[in-house]
Amino acid sequence: MVELETLKPFFAERQDVLNEILGRYPDYGRRSAVMPLLWEVQREERQVNEARIHEIAEILGIQPTEVKGVMSFYSTYHEHAIGKYHLQICSTLACSLAGSDEMYDFISEETGLVNGETDRQGLFSIQKVECLGSCTTAPVLQVNDTYYERVGKSRCQTLLEAFRRGEMPEPWRERYGDNEGAEKAKPLQNTIKTGGNA
Amino acid sequence: MKVKVNDVELDLAPGTSAIDAVFAAGYDVPYFCSQEYMSPIGACRMCLAVVGAPRKERDGSWTMDEATGQPKIFYFPNPMATCTTAIMEGMVIDTLSDVTKKAQGGMMEMHLINHPLDCPTCDKGGACELQDRAYEYGSGHSRFIFDKRHNEKHHALSELITLDRERCIHCKRCVRYFEEVPGDEVLDFIERGGHTFIGTVEEGLPSNFSGNITDICPVGALLDTTSRFRGRNWEYDHTRSTSLDDASGSAITIDARTGRIERIKAALNTQVNKNWIDDGTRFGHEYAASSDRIKTPMLRKNGKLEPVTWEEATLFISEKLKKLSDNQLGIALRSDATLEEGVAAKSLAEYLKTGQIDHYPRYASSVISANPASFNDLATAGAIFVMADATEEVPMVDLRIKDALKGVTPPTLMAHGVPIADLRLKERMPRKTNILSVAAPYRVDLMKYAAHSMVYPTGTEVEVLKQIIDASTDAGKALKESLSAAEKAVIVLGAFVLNSAEASKLADDLAKATGAKVMKLGAMANSFGLESQDVLPAKADYSYPNMLSGSAKALIVSGLNPAQNAEVAQALLKLELLVVHDLFENETTALAHVVLPAKSGYEKEGTVVNLEGRYLNVNPAPVDGGQAVDFTGFVKELGDALNERLEGRSVRSARRLLKKSLELDLSELPLEGTIASAKAGKVAGLKTNTSGNALLVPSMVRSEYLNRNAHLFASTGGNALRLHPADAASHNLSAHDVISVSVGGFKRRLSVQPSESVPEGMMLLPALPDQPVGLVQLDLNSIKKEQVALEVA
Repeated sequence: MVELETLKPFFAERQDVLNEILGRYPDYGRRSAVMPLLWEVQREERQVNEARIHEIAEILGIQPTEVKGVMSFYSTYHEHAIGKYHLQICSTLACSLAGSDEMYDFISEETGLVNGETDRQGLFSIQKVECLGSCTTAPVLQVNDTYYERVGKSRCQTLLEAFRRGEMPEPWRERYGDNEGAEKAKPLQNTIKTGGNA
Repeated sequence: MKVKVNDVELDLAPGTSAIDAVFAAGYDVPYFCSQEYMSPIGACRMCLAVVGAPRKERDGSWTMDEATGQPKIFYFPNPMATCTTAIMEGMVIDTLSDVTKKAQGGMMEMHLINHPLDCPTCDKGGACELQDRAYEYGSGHSRFIFDKRHNEKHHALSELITLDRERCIHCKRCVRYFEEVPGDEVLDFIERGGHTFIGTVEEGLPSNFSGNITDICPVGALLDTTSRFRGRNWEYDHTRSTSLDDASGSAITIDARTGRIERIKAALNTQVNKNWIDDGTRFGHEYAASSDRIKTPMLRKNGKLEPVTWEEATLFISEKLKKLSDNQLGIALRSDATLEEGVAAKSLAEYLKTGQIDHYPRYASSVISANPASFNDLATAGAIFVMADATEEVPMVDLRIKDALKGVTPPTLMAHGVPIADLRLKERMPRKTNILSVAAPYRVDLMKYAAHSMVYPTGTEVEVLKQIIDASTDAGKALKESLSAAEKAVIVLGAFVLNSAEASKLADDLAKATGAKVMKLGAMANSFGLESQDVLPAKADYSYPNMLSGSAKALIVSGLNPAQNAEVAQALLKLELLVVHDLFENETTALAHVVLPAKSGYEKEGTVVNLEGRYLNVNPAPVDGGQAVDFTGFVKELGDALNERLEGRSVRSARRLLKKSLELDLSELPLEGTIASAKAGKVAGLKTNTSGNALLVPSMVRSEYLNRNAHLFASTGGNALRLHPADAASHNLSAHDVISVSVGGFKRRLSVQPSESVPEGMMLLPALPDQPVGLVQLDLNSIKKEQVALEVA
């Protein structure tokens, strides 16, 4: 028999966060809080599973289908847990011309994954994304929230090896820019909770 | 406002959309996303046209064109989507220019890029907007050399609706429909860009009006599962008729092929159902094509029913009738019998000198209001008080109330009909929920949309109404004030009120005191008409329940199955003659001397009067019913056996009679019907239970036919016994158990549905025509579990 663990409501212990988010919007615009709530869950759990979709819908008094509709529009939100290293390969024009397809092929071959997949160990997820805004230093690979620029084959190999050792190399940035944005991801934990349906 | 479309000059009301101007001028532009009664959003970009308008100088004068001396037309830099463009004074719309044609052709090509073009196997083929428009505006060949997008072809959105994701062109009609019309946002776009598809997280589209999306889908993406792969559009006989499923008189189109009904679609009646029908009406037609229909008359010979000719059957009946003295014969019709059938039954009763004639189910008080509200009154009301389970009794009332919540009056019809793009409608309009108050003995669906709702203890309608009339509670006072203050107020009364003469009287008093109009929800499709035609017993002792318990020596029943009650069945055995006119063999036909084949509501010709008092024609679809006749046909056959030309022996003869009394020619009714005033009949002789542990409630899905409506059965799980989870636990019942139980003498088979919306200590089960809405005793000791739900470990 499979023991099903009841998923605790995400915002039950985060009433202050919830109130802060809801407080940003007037009552008639309560539904607007769908984005920050989704992001809160995604940041914490590295996924937004169906139970969370229903929870957010209930908080906002809208249908779960609507939450799903918003969520699926953005590639930032994931229905299933993403790996410890989320490899996001820019595939828009500049990177594409500079060889992002080759980078994708190389990563794909190395990891045995294709676009949108996560490996069984939960180590890597790979995803083709649209422009990362660093066209002058194409091709760009974004790993979680860290930018690696001009990623050729050898650099890519070095990176993957580092990740396999569990390291997170310093960002390779040529110009200004920081990786300490307002919405920096929470530090990785060793065990990743996968929630209900993963 | 003066507008010029190509060469036609028009004078239209401000606020009209440019697309409507084009159609009003008699020209055409293609469109997929606009839909009557829904907001225009300009999603498909098909209705592009070159549009221009004159400009004003600062001093308010027109900027003139020096060459012509006329106001100069400034054209928009690009072709405009005419559906989202409002007309302006002096606007010029050009739908014939090469720029327009090229733009429309380009959009057409774009729509077809990912469309599978599987028209030969598509159910929509032949009635498909995309197909038609591709012929009219497409280029005829494809330049798209790449692989098309592939996606799921047979996705069951629910038991009733199948989605083909490849065919979808993302017009968003279905998504908008759910938000704007019934207000249940159960469908949305998922993903984005080229990957977009429509989908839902909820299971099985939880909405009572989901089927309408199959009508409005411009392609074959959303299909009615009951009719999938059953026929091509050009093979169907399309019969416009009126639904006999509830008292709304909704317009439907019956699509039949080779003598079988395959599909019901909504038809347009701007005054009643607009473009919409509920799921019970749309998907509840399968019973009519059931293989076990009675197709010939049958006569009991040596204890067994044997097929006979109509002559033999009616001769037998006439011989028996001749032996009866006055007032010994009872005649009962089901309340969805047509007016013509009512007239026929009355003339037969008159000829046979019996006062025992009745229609059933009916309520203890009249369904004809002194100050009746029409659907349009309801849709434009400023305050609405619903004391009913309106969604289940007459679903259209639910939808029209939601119109009132949006606060947009029904559109004015234009030369080409309903405006295609009504610019007053928007996506996600705020709803004026505070104008709606709902009271019912359990949580009803409409309460989700009402600012004020009240669940009162079953059977306390009188007390609730007194509280409002006397303004003795805060809520009652507020409600009475809002009804009085509103310019147009409507009170909707359902079975729970109409079942009690006292409560009805109080509700009428409340209406008088507040100046509100009253909408009374009749029990069945023609409750209003049969009452207004006085198909009622001559005295209270002759009512239908009395006929069953001994006042009649012989009985002719049409569409009713009283023998489900074991006690009544015993009484029926004593009858000298029992004639049953019905669709299927049942408990009563098992006792009958003569069984006659009846027509279903889709095969009848006749007239019904809906709850507004609107006379509407019912037209027969070509369905193979064997030797089935309606009640007028039966009267003719019986008249032949009696050597008498009885009035009401045909629809024509009945209409001749009705023409005299109504001053209305029922064979020449307009499509949208005619409202005529009517007086309340003398309804009497019905007793209602005032105690019981279960409540029979109205049901949108016809519970008597649910077993024969396979798809509806699968979607609803069968007739449900709803009870509070705590009660379910104490009766040792769990969700999805199928039980048989004795309810007020009827053996009912029900599937258990624990629900928080039911008050503790009360059980709800759907009413039957023979066991109408009201309290009843459910024998808890008689519960037998027939199927036990699978337990998840």
